[in-house]
Amino acid sequence: MAKSLSNIELNLNQFSPIAQSALQHFNLSARQEKVSFEKGVWANETPPAGYIRLRGNAQNPVFLAATQAALGAHIPCLACTSIKTEFGSLYWLSIDEWLIVTSVESRATLQAKLEQSLTGIHSLVADQSGGMTTIKVLGKHAADALSHCTVYDLHALNMGKVVGTSFGKLSVFLCADHDGYRLLFRRSFADYIWRYLERAAEPYGFAIANLS
Amino acid sequence: MSRINKPRIKHKHSRVNLSKPLNFTFDGKPYIGYQGDTLASALLANGIKVMARSFKYGRPRGIVGSWAEEPNCLVQIDMGAKTTPDLKATQVELYEGLVAGRTSGWPSLAFDLKSIGGHFSRFMPAGFYYKTFKWPAKFWPLYEHVIRKAAGYGASPIEADVETYDHKHHHTDVLVVGGGAAGLLAAQLSGQCGASVILLDDQSEMGGYLLSTPNTTIGGKNALEWRDSVITELQSLPNVQILTRTTAFGLHDMNMIQAVELLQDHLPHHQRNAIQRRERLHRIRANKVVLATGAFERPLVFGNNDVPGVMTVSALATYFNRYGVACGKHTLILTSNDSAYQAVADLAAGGVKVTLADVRDNINAEWDAHFKQLGIDVFTGFGISEVLGSNSVTGARLSKLHPTNPMENFEKDLLRRRVVNVRDISCDVIASSGGLSPTVHLFCHDGGRPTWSDESLAFVVSANGRANAGIYCVGAVTGEFQLQKGLEKTVQTTQEMLASLGKSATNTMALNTNEIAPNPTKAIFHIATSKKAFVDFQNDVAVTDIQLAVRENFKSIEHIKRYTALGFGTDQGKLSNVNGFAIAAEALGKTIPEVGTTTYRPAYTPVSFGALAGAHVAETFEPRRYTAMQASHEQFGAEYETVGNWMRPWYFPQNGEDMQAAVNRECLAARNGVAIMDASTLGKIDIQGKDVREFLNRVYSNSWSQLASGKCRYGLMLNEAGMVMDDGVTACITDTHFLMTTTTGGAANVLNWLEKWHQTEWTELEVYMTSVTDHWATASLVGPKSREVLAKLCSDIDLNKDAFKFMEWRDGTVAGVPARVFRISFSGELAYEINVDASYGNYVWQALMAAGKAFDITPYGTETMHVLRAEKGFIIVGQETDGSVTPLDLDMAWAVSLKKPFSFIGKRSLARSDTVRTDRKQLVGLLTEDPTIVLKEGAQIINSSNISPPVAMFGHVTSSYYSAFLGRSIALALVTDGFKRRENVESIFAYAEGKAIKAKIVSSVFVDAEGARHHG
Repeated sequence: MAKSLSNIELNLNQFSPIAQSALQHFNLSARQEKVSFEKGVWANETPPAGYIRLRGNAQNPVFLAATQAALGAHIPCLACTSIKTEFGSLYWLSIDEWLIVTSVESRATLQAKLEQSLTGIHSLVADQSGGMTTIKVLGKHAADALSHCTVYDLHALNMGKVVGTSFGKLSVFLCADHDGYRLLFRRSFADYIWRYLERAAEPYGFAIANLS
Repeated sequence: MSRINKPRIKHKHSRVNLSKPLNFTFDGKPYIGYQGDTLASALLANGIKVMARSFKYGRPRGIVGSWAEEPNCLVQIDMGAKTTPDLKATQVELYEGLVAGRTSGWPSLAFDLKSIGGHFSRFMPAGFYYKTFKWPAKFWPLYEHVIRKAAGYGASPIEADVETYDHKHHHTDVLVVGGGAAGLLAAQLSGQCGASVILLDDQSEMGGYLLSTPNTTIGGKNALEWRDSVITELQSLPNVQILTRTTAFGLHDMNMIQAVELLQDHLPHHQRNAIQRRERLHRIRANKVVLATGAFERPLVFGNNDVPGVMTVSALATYFNRYGVACGKHTLILTSNDSAYQAVADLAAGGVKVTLADVRDNINAEWDAHFKQLGIDVFTGFGISEVLGSNSVTGARLSKLHPTNPMENFEKDLLRRRVVNVRDISCDVIASSGGLSPTVHLFCHDGGRPTWSDESLAFVVSANGRANAGIYCVGAVTGEFQLQKGLEKTVQTTQEMLASLGKSATNTMALNTNEIAPNPTKAIFHIATSKKAFVDFQNDVAVTDIQLAVRENFKSIEHIKRYTALGFGTDQGKLSNVNGFAIAAEALGKTIPEVGTTTYRPAYTPVSFGALAGAHVAETFEPRRYTAMQASHEQFGAEYETVGNWMRPWYFPQNGEDMQAAVNRECLAARNGVAIMDASTLGKIDIQGKDVREFLNRVYSNSWSQLASGKCRYGLMLNEAGMVMDDGVTACITDTHFLMTTTTGGAANVLNWLEKWHQTEWTELEVYMTSVTDHWATASLVGPKSREVLAKLCSDIDLNKDAFKFMEWRDGTVAGVPARVFRISFSGELAYEINVDASYGNYVWQALMAAGKAFDITPYGTETMHVLRAEKGFIIVGQETDGSVTPLDLDMAWAVSLKKPFSFIGKRSLARSDTVRTDRKQLVGLLTEDPTIVLKEGAQIINSSNISPPVAMFGHVTSSYYSAFLGRSIALALVTDGFKRRENVESIFAYAEGKAIKAKIVSSVFVDAEGARHHG
């Protein structure tokens, strides 16, 4: 559980910054349970991660070579695909846009490598770690619960496929995992998306999953 | 002789379980029904005949139909927050403890005051309301009140709904709408070949009319056995989903079908699951839609046809066979077609005395023999000229029909000639059948039209005429009213549909039925009478009303509909429309296809607001976007204002302060000490690439060629018309990397705008952009003490005023967190905007609060922000601007560079004759003569205190506040020729809410015009 921030004692010589997740206020970690068959839908916010937005011209071999050199992996150029890499995941978002998800610790190094490798090449690299979060949804009724939230055809969402789609009145990136779904979205959407998901899932039996 | 002594009978095929009695009340009285009953069947079984009073004349009314076509019996179900008005008693499933009330009849069902008016009905013709209540116009509110009370119908709940609803999205290969014989077969064939199938039906169980005609056989099995075998197979197929109690009420473009499922309304309260929804709106996107929506039987129209006890033959058969209710002991059936005959036979075999009148001169020999055997009196060539009885049917007068024109009044002629061709029959229930009207609604919702078939005497739809759109039709909706032929064609059509999906299906079931080949239906819609003959029961539209409308020169059926209110009710004319079209055609001297139909629009049946809202209620009504500092804002008791879905702190009241007191305190803290605001919601767009400067040159009106790294600049964004659409500060991070800020509400639009221009017009510019709004949490530290506060937390940026100047930014750390600090100011004070990764936003905010404690740091919200910026004359896009304001109108020529080598968006429009006028509405300041008066925002600018109209208007107040710092009110206004009038310090009056307040025109900058404070 995160340290309370109220009445912070300020030590001007030694600061100890505290990071908070987008869904901190729901105190999910205190309510999480071991995943079982008793509930139809399980969900939780995944641990904090580093998010890097990458844009560039996928038709440009120089761009592709530079990203590959920095990432050690080919960025997925096939629409709506994602890949797992050593450092995390790479999601295709649009014809010239990708999302790189990695650990908080390795984000800065990876970003620096990318920026260096892409110097002088038409591209964009931006840290979005503070602005994104991920919810994992699993359980035997995960798809049912999500079908109340998104118009996307979940049967058409094969493993690894990632789509930008609707979620209630907002939008998310939705990705199918081997054991459920991943919703990636903006930090400021978190409250609404969590409440909406919880409401949709409740009739199927809902609990907060211990993802570790 | 009738063998029926009470309405509830034991019927071996009944779907009602007589071993499970259920208590319910109607109109305050207790009754008993059984599991499987509808409220209508239970009331009929209890001998209740009058269940409603009519809309216009207050005439007693009873049950006419057995499902969604019912026009009369609208009931109020349940009480308090759970009450639902105007449900059709025919569609309400009975449950233990159900409380039902009438929705019409005032003061009671037995006596309705309007029925007195009914005696004067010749004074209440079609268009009565338009004609009578038109003058004087100012009395309309009074008329409306009385009319609404008289019109009756149910009461909306006045308490908040305690039930919940949701939406569910589906994608399927095949959607079959309707679970009657044809729908079941189509679903079965589709399911067998592996297609994903959704089969839905609005009733509590699948089967459709098969449930009402159990003596029909298919492939040697009786209808119910056949139904059971198909359902069993469908249930075994994992690719088939079956939804009962689910009404497809709209078919939209691209075959998106909306259907509402009633999940719990059929359960007694104690069995309802609080965590489950009451209703669910299914949004089904189907590759192929099979409409198996069937047909409703059309009644014949005759004199006094609204007396309780008059119904359709199919309803009578349904109550008898499906619910085990004999609606009367002696039934008179009037028909124009053979489809009624099976019901005649079923009733007679079941012990009901039946008299049959057929408008045709000859009767099918096979049926005739059968009827003789059953002891049924048959009158051929007869119609009903008049129903006898007032509160319930006691008999009917049969008249021989005119040989060539049955709608001609022949009766008097016959009487005159003393031809004994009038027979009075005594009976207690009358049922009529004028043929079937296919349920073509869904087919027509997205532009399809039905066509008139002389053969079927109905508006029908083509089985595969809309195959290109993926819409196929099977069964009675196509005008194929015989079961065996219908099923055979269903196989064909379904195979064709499946072939278009690349699948093939083979029917293995025997589809032969025991139907007797029918004689043709006779084209007759109403029978001549001197009595009132109703076409539309719900709106009291009689034959004479339609004829009157035509005489008054209404020619289009859409106009006739609106003038008479034909088909306007909650039944949407399911029984009445086609009769109305036919009667109008007759009056117009046209054919029915020439007259055509009115337009079929969603919803097919009424849908609750709850179902439409779904999850979009309460906490999930609208997205609420929160910043990373939300926990701190809650701790400080913020009041909120919604800005573009963001929940922004509006002000932070302390110790019971009102808004003005809080804002005064917050403003003074910012001007005199230090204050802090959450500016995280401002849009932030990261733009990178070698052509960033050029890109900015084109989207902003000012120039970006020279801005050095480490510096910021304010920019105005114009649309093509030269009008201000957004503003913000943009920083040069490196030569190829800029960070743009936008207004909170404009962020998404601006990003789209930039992408649009880049992707469509300036593809050659090497730039990419992305939103980083959510990534950066931003705290604005404002006030003369802000430097001292920041210094406590930041040791790696030189905060000296010459080292870190106004409109510059620095990278460093704040409270140990990597931060990008901007020295920019929307308040006119010394100010720093501290941007950090939003994960640390709340921590840094708390650190700033702790560091500022010694200076009494004061958090402030958007209201104080507005006052501070208005004191400085800073605009808010959308408040000072409204899409008709140029930078020059705002006195911001300094933010327009006409020298840029390439154009910028809006440049050309700034040279239009209208935009170069010098007397446009221009932004100025206003100071009221009385400094304590705060002008109303939106007040009109006028030139004198004389407010007798007409008064010329010269602009309006855009912003107006009390400034605690100045100790007086201030305002900004757009005033015609404002700059010139400002030079002369002219006086104007601001008019709002009946008052004209005197003020003088001054500069829009009220505080620190030279900028000493923010440069400090």
